[in-house]
Amino acid sequence: MDPPLVKAGAAGPAPTEAANPTLPSIAQPTAQPGAPPAANPAAPCSAPPAAQNQLVERLPVADRERLLAQCDCVPLALSGLLCAPGLASEHAFFPLSGVVSMALLADAHPGLEVGMVGREGMLGLPLALGVASVPLRAMVQGPGAAWRIPAASLQREVARSSALRGVLNRYVFVRMAELATSAACQRFHLIGPRLARRLLMSQDRSGSQRVHVTQEFLANMLGVRRVGVTAAAGALQRSGVIEYHRGELTVLNRAGLEAAACSCYARDRQSYVELMA
Amino acid sequence: MLLMPLPDTPCNHLLASLPPTELARWAPLLQATEMPLGQVLYESGCTLEHVYFPTTAIVSLLYVMENGASAEIAIVGNEGLVGISLFMGGGSTPSRAVVQSAGQGLRLPAQAMKDEFNRAGPVMHLMLRYTQALITQMAQTAVCNRHHTLDQQLCRWLLLSLDRLPGTELQMTQELIANMLGVRREGVTAAAHSLQQAGLIRYARGRISVLDRPALEQRTCECYAVVKREYDRLLPGRAAD
Repeated sequence: MDPPLVKAGAAGPAPTEAANPTLPSIAQPTAQPGAPPAANPAAPCSAPPAAQNQLVERLPVADRERLLAQCDCVPLALSGLLCAPGLASEHAFFPLSGVVSMALLADAHPGLEVGMVGREGMLGLPLALGVASVPLRAMVQGPGAAWRIPAASLQREVARSSALRGVLNRYVFVRMAELATSAACQRFHLIGPRLARRLLMSQDRSGSQRVHVTQEFLANMLGVRRVGVTAAAGALQRSGVIEYHRGELTVLNRAGLEAAACSCYARDRQSYVELMA
Repeated sequence: MLLMPLPDTPCNHLLASLPPTELARWAPLLQATEMPLGQVLYESGCTLEHVYFPTTAIVSLLYVMENGASAEIAIVGNEGLVGISLFMGGGSTPSRAVVQSAGQGLRLPAQAMKDEFNRAGPVMHLMLRYTQALITQMAQTAVCNRHHTLDQQLCRWLLLSLDRLPGTELQMTQELIANMLGVRREGVTAAAHSLQQAGLIRYARGRISVLDRPALEQRTCECYAVVKREYDRLLPGRAAD
C-alpha cells in the first residue's frame, strides 16, 4: 500500500547530491538561484502581494517604507537555492509566500532540516548578525515570492533602524528556540509524530492543503530511512488524516494531524507568539 | 579581579576582546563568581538577573521536555557567555543552564548588559557574532543527535569540553553525561568503557582524563570540526588556543 514516488526531479524538490552542481552559480552576482536575473530593483511586484511578510509588518511605517524601497519582489522558484554552505550571501529574503527549508549537511547524509522559513520569518539572519556565510543550505520547497534586499542595504538599515534591529533580534531568538526544539525532537521523538509536525509546519507557511513532496525528500529532511517515512505516512493515510498519491500530499484533517504531531509543534508556535509579542 | 588576559591567567575571550572604553564601563560591575558542578544558572522560562562569562567553568544549555527529559543543545565556556536571551529575546529563556564542569566565571548585572547592547556599538556586534556561532553549534547538535553514534557524540562532547578547560581532566559523572546527551546511563557507561579500552581516556571516581586527544579527534564525527571551525572564524581569541 506504499504511496508511489514521483520521479526524482519531476515535481518534488530533490535535495540530494544532484542539487550540488548548481552550487557554484550562487557566487556569481548575475545568476541568483530562486530569483530572475532580470529583476529590476526599482520595480516592485506588478501585482502587490495581498499578504505582507510578518516581520516587515511589525516595523513602524517610516522604517518599513525605507526598508521596502530597497527591496525588490522576486519569485521563489521551487528548488531554488537561496543560501549554500560557505558561500557569502548577497541578499536576504523576507518571504511573502512559499516555504524555504534550511538544512545542514553532514558527511554522507543528504542534509537534515534544521529550520523552515515562510512569511513569518526571514532568510539571511546571519547578515543581521554581521556574518556573511554559514554552513547551511536554504532551498525553496514550496514556491512563492519574497522581498529581496541586498546584503549591504540590509546591514545599513539594521544599523539605522532600532525597530528593525529589535524585530530581527527577536526573530533570531525564535529561530534559536526552534533549533533547540529540533535538537531535542531529533533525540526523543518517533518518526510518526515528527512527520506530522513537519507537515504542519510547511502547511502553516504555504497556506495550502496540498504539497508536492517525495518520500525521499521527507526522509532526508527528517534524517530517517525512506521505509520509515513510508510506514509513518501510511499510518497517517489509513487514519484519514492525509492522502498521499503520486507525490501529491493532501492534508484532509488538520486537527487530526495536530493530534498526531509531537508537542514540539505547539511549543514552537507558542514561542513565536511569546517572543515576537 | 583580572579582566585582561595576563600570561597563564584564565580569562573570558569575549571580555578580553572588548575595547578599553567598553571594558572600563563594565569593570566596576563585573563580579568574580564560583560556579560549582551542577549549579543551575537559570531555569527555562525564568527571567535573568545576570549574564555569566565563564573563565574556567563550562556551562551546558539544556532543552527540557514536558516529561522532564532533557538534552543538551550547546555548551558555553571561556569563549562565550550565558544569557543571550537577555538581549536577543525578552528576558526569559527557553532553556536551562547548568554548570557541567566546576570552575570560575564573571557575572554582570542584566541591566548593564542591556544598556551596553542598546548602545549598538562594539559590544552589540561582538554579541551578535557570538549568537551566530552559538546557532551553528545548536544546529550541529541537532544533526549529531540524529545521525551519529553515542560513541562519536561522547568524543565530540569531550573535545568541546576540553577546548574550554585549562587542563586535560574533567570532573564528571556518567549520570551527568547521560543527561547532557539525552541517553540512558548504560549507554554512556558502554561508550566510556570502549574509549577507555582503546586507551583514549581514563575514567575513575568521577574524573575523566583525556590520554590521547588526536585519537579522540579521529574517532569523533565531523560535528566537532564544523563547530570548532565556525567558532575560530567568528570569535576573537580562538585561533590562538
